[in-house]
Amino acid sequence: MAIFVFKEFGGVKMHIPDNYLSPSTCATFGVAMVPVWRRAIIKIKQEVTRQKMPLLGVCAAFSFLVMMFNIPLPGGTTGHAVGAALAAILLGPYCAVISVTIALTVQALFFGDGGVLALAVNCFNMAFIMPFTAHYVFNFIKSFIKNKKGEHIGVFIAGYVSLNIAALFTAIEFGIQPILFKDGAGLPIYSPYGLAIAIPAMMIPHLLVAGVLEGIITTGVYSYVKKLTPEIIYKESKNRIKPLYFLIGILVLATPLGLLATGTAWGEWGAEEVQELVGFIPNGMKNGFNFSAPMPDYGLEGLKEYFAYILSALVGITVIFLIIKLWGKVSYKNSQKVQND
Amino acid sequence: MIDEWLLEKDSYIPKGEKNSYIEKSIFSMVKTVSIIRENKIKEGIIYHINPLLKVVISILNLIFIAITRSFIYVGIFDIYLLSALLMMDKRDRIRIIKMSLIFPIITFIALIPAILMGNIYNSLLILQKVLSTIVLMSILSHTTRWSDINKALKLMFIPDIIIWIMDITIKYIVLLAEYSIDLLFALKLRSVGSSKDKNKFISSIVGNVFLKSYKMSEEMSSAMECRGFVGEYSISKNLTFKKYDYIYVIINLGMFLLFAIKFV
Repeated sequence: MAIFVFKEFGGVKMHIPDNYLSPSTCATFGVAMVPVWRRAIIKIKQEVTRQKMPLLGVCAAFSFLVMMFNIPLPGGTTGHAVGAALAAILLGPYCAVISVTIALTVQALFFGDGGVLALAVNCFNMAFIMPFTAHYVFNFIKSFIKNKKGEHIGVFIAGYVSLNIAALFTAIEFGIQPILFKDGAGLPIYSPYGLAIAIPAMMIPHLLVAGVLEGIITTGVYSYVKKLTPEIIYKESKNRIKPLYFLIGILVLATPLGLLATGTAWGEWGAEEVQELVGFIPNGMKNGFNFSAPMPDYGLEGLKEYFAYILSALVGITVIFLIIKLWGKVSYKNSQKVQND
Repeated sequence: MIDEWLLEKDSYIPKGEKNSYIEKSIFSMVKTVSIIRENKIKEGIIYHINPLLKVVISILNLIFIAITRSFIYVGIFDIYLLSALLMMDKRDRIRIIKMSLIFPIITFIALIPAILMGNIYNSLLILQKVLSTIVLMSILSHTTRWSDINKALKLMFIPDIIIWIMDITIKYIVLLAEYSIDLLFALKLRSVGSSKDKNKFISSIVGNVFLKSYKMSEEMSSAMECRGFVGEYSISKNLTFKKYDYIYVIINLGMFLLFAIKFV
């Protein structure tokens, strides 16, 4: 089924074409990518000197070409790597964001490979999730096994894991379409296959074949470059973004997945649900205080449900962040007071 | 004095070669290079419409196709696309038709289960939309110089520096692809029979291309500096319209109106 879509001429593909996803999904991802691109440009301006700016263009051309190299697969077919993990490890995650984005844009605009409206979604998967996952996985493993072997294992796993995470995101983006967008008769308007079909269809070929391929290519090229010119491989500067923020960002974007769960979170029952569960409403609950939340059920009137979910997550995080900051300030003042006394 | 065994004829038959992946790589690179090289302005009205207009209107049409739920609108839009195709150079036309048939066929195969399950209208609509979108974008990329399309991106608040990087990318895709083709041919010619090492060489070639691109970009930046480049790059918009541009706009305004009527 969907495998056919992604298996164009034997190469497993992740480029989402137009009209498979709803325009609103594409717009949401577009909004999500703007801060990523902005941050990448700012970081690159700090890290890369002006004289080295052409490097980005040439590296985008390189990212484009990596996808053209066919690699033999067992069974006589061939496949190709995405190369985003490679770019992240060789050039750093921010350069990878820009160069893979440009490579994807050139593919979408001029080669008809991947949609123009779906470009932001493709960039999210392949130019954001993939290089950052590869970058963090590589550094994580490298910090544990500190010899040459560890580095190579790290590169391989970074390639394997990052491609599969990117494929998983692609599958989820496909899979949520029939849940979120239906016509009057309840039939899906866009990609018609739900998560139960999209995830295995995307993940099985990626877990078994494409991920291994990505890992092998990434390791092969990394060790070649490392052997010849180790000095050009990206070394991280000290003030980097914390992986925690990255994780929070992903969680925020993943909040609409909560829409898929049926029922309420355990222990978060309202009075009516308690009645359904145990047959009666405890008196304390019946007459207890009635809290009217500013965003009831994480939704806002007049807003689409999934969008409201993301907004709710952002508002929630901001509130928690402010509370922690205030609390930190108060406790800091208190501790200073104690010291002064 | 030559030893006798050296003069004896050997009947060495190498094992079956598995070169298909090298050939495929070479083929896809040659194809890419030829597509980029072919991107020239040819004779015909459609090639001479203001690129800025073409990009903006194509993207608007793309959005309308994505939003619409009407078969009739997409159908009429297809007629518009067909008439645009007829105004194009014959070679371009054939290439676009060939290119845009592959993906809808794959889409159709993927959608068969959904059609069998009863979701006929929506599936056929997706299929038609996929086809129209691909034809629309191919017409744009075949009738407009790519550097002009890049320039038009300025209207979408894309910084000049990114547009400049995209220009470099397209030029260097050709240079690096030609370099890779040479390396792949060298690998193909110098290896006989099947060997395990041959597969490893692919990653060495990719690594070599990376080092080459690094070196090329350094050379390029020093060359640019020598010519007085200081890191600023500004693009001017071409906003002069001719008679054909107005006709093009009027036709498309008609299409927008049709969308507005049909969508509601």
